[in-house]
Amino acid sequence: MPTVTYVEADGARHVIDVPVDENVMHGAQYNNVPGILGECGGGCSCATCRCYIDEAWAAKVGGPASDAERDLLIGADGELKPNARLSCQIAMTPELDGLVVHMPEHQF
Amino acid sequence: MAIDAAHPVPPAYPRSAGWDQIPPHVPKELVFSSGLTTGPEFLANPHDFMANMHDRYPPIFYDVSEHINAWQFLKHEDALFALRHWEYFSNEGATPFPRDPNDYFYFIPIEIDPPEHRKYRNIVDPLFSPRGVLKLENLIRQRSRDLLDEFADKGECEFTTAFGRPLPVSVFLDIMGLPQDMRDTFVEWAVNLLHARDRETMGRAMANIVAYIKQAIAEKKAHPDEGVISRIAHAAPDGQPLSDKEIFGFVIFLFIGGLDTVFATLNNIWLWLARNPERVEEIIARPDDIDNIVEELLRRWSVTFSGRVVAQDIEMRGVKLKKGDRITCVLPACNFDADVFPDPLEVNFDRPRKTILAFTVGVHSCMGAHLARLELKIALQEWLKRIPRFSVKPGAEIEYRPGGVVGPEAVPLIW
Repeated sequence: MPTVTYVEADGARHVIDVPVDENVMHGAQYNNVPGILGECGGGCSCATCRCYIDEAWAAKVGGPASDAERDLLIGADGELKPNARLSCQIAMTPELDGLVVHMPEHQF
Repeated sequence: MAIDAAHPVPPAYPRSAGWDQIPPHVPKELVFSSGLTTGPEFLANPHDFMANMHDRYPPIFYDVSEHINAWQFLKHEDALFALRHWEYFSNEGATPFPRDPNDYFYFIPIEIDPPEHRKYRNIVDPLFSPRGVLKLENLIRQRSRDLLDEFADKGECEFTTAFGRPLPVSVFLDIMGLPQDMRDTFVEWAVNLLHARDRETMGRAMANIVAYIKQAIAEKKAHPDEGVISRIAHAAPDGQPLSDKEIFGFVIFLFIGGLDTVFATLNNIWLWLARNPERVEEIIARPDDIDNIVEELLRRWSVTFSGRVVAQDIEMRGVKLKKGDRITCVLPACNFDADVFPDPLEVNFDRPRKTILAFTVGVHSCMGAHLARLELKIALQEWLKRIPRFSVKPGAEIEYRPGGVVGPEAVPLIW
């Protein structure tokens, strides 16, 4: 199973198995990784599962998947940071095995 | 103190109601009796009333009524804060739904604060995630079509009974793993429980629901299936099976929480559609924008409120809130906060996406939100395919009844 490394704002790392097709938000939520809240349950509507894709992975993951995701990221950060994503909008694929995401200090 | 969900006890926080029960720390200039959910002005046009609250009341004010006294939060920002800070605004004892004190149970997970809360959500979240509910798409579409078959050729219907009520009940039965032939019985129970004018009818409906659900749980324990009742009955978070009280409180909460809200949402929206044919044409002309359309309609026609109990003293906007005070986030008013949604009463499908409060936010954010969105989307698509032009029946009186879920009582339509 592919793994995702979630890095907390203080540097703590959590390496989690996340099944293909499952999203990166659920990977954190179901395994009690702090830092990703996912209040709305993955609906691209609350921006509390924000993460920053590690530089090495940014190109592979790509930017926001929709205008809604872009709007919410701008609302949360005040600007569109180049590697910011909502983790609920990133579905795991075999190619993303080893993905590293960084979590903000606060989701709100 | 952490709640013990397996051994529920009635909440210790007192409820105050009426003019003689205003706590001394509440400043006189913040005390009003707005008539929210009960007064004639509210009942004449509830959503306009809630939009106007921003001009008539301070953003946090103390509302006195004969049922309950509580602080009302009108600002989007304040509701986000309260709903996201359970350490200040607790859900324990915040659900004012009467229960037998001798056979008490918690509504799960809404009455459970973190960290225990997540244990319950993990049981059902996969089913109610955006991807989880997509598996129900064909089924919901079929249920919608079946209902439309019953009346589309007749040229008229009373929307709430022909479509608004039976659709979510049908879908609920499918999800729970209960038989469709219970549909009309469930509709009747739900109507009597949530809308009866006398307590005897309400009590009888509750007793019927309790008996049916207990029997259904027993049956699913013996014969597991894919439905939600079975999933809850057989759940064992961290290897520990749920107690009977937990299973019951979980299942009955889904029943009470899920039915009336979707019903009222559909009723509000269909009334608006019937009065705004040019907006119906716009919706039909923009099939690819259906998700934005659904989101904006949910903002404009939010139906409910979210209550909390203050768990520790806190000051907001200079207002001192004391432990034990009750607060209500007036979600429709928050969705009409012009600082966040300019020209708030205007239905505008091109607004930038922001967090709407139709489903609240925070850990208790509505678990059925994606299901509700999907039901609304499919209902719109299927209805407008069959009945693209319709209007309110001439002479029909649109009435609202007092209550915590806001929608018109009856919506007679013709086409």
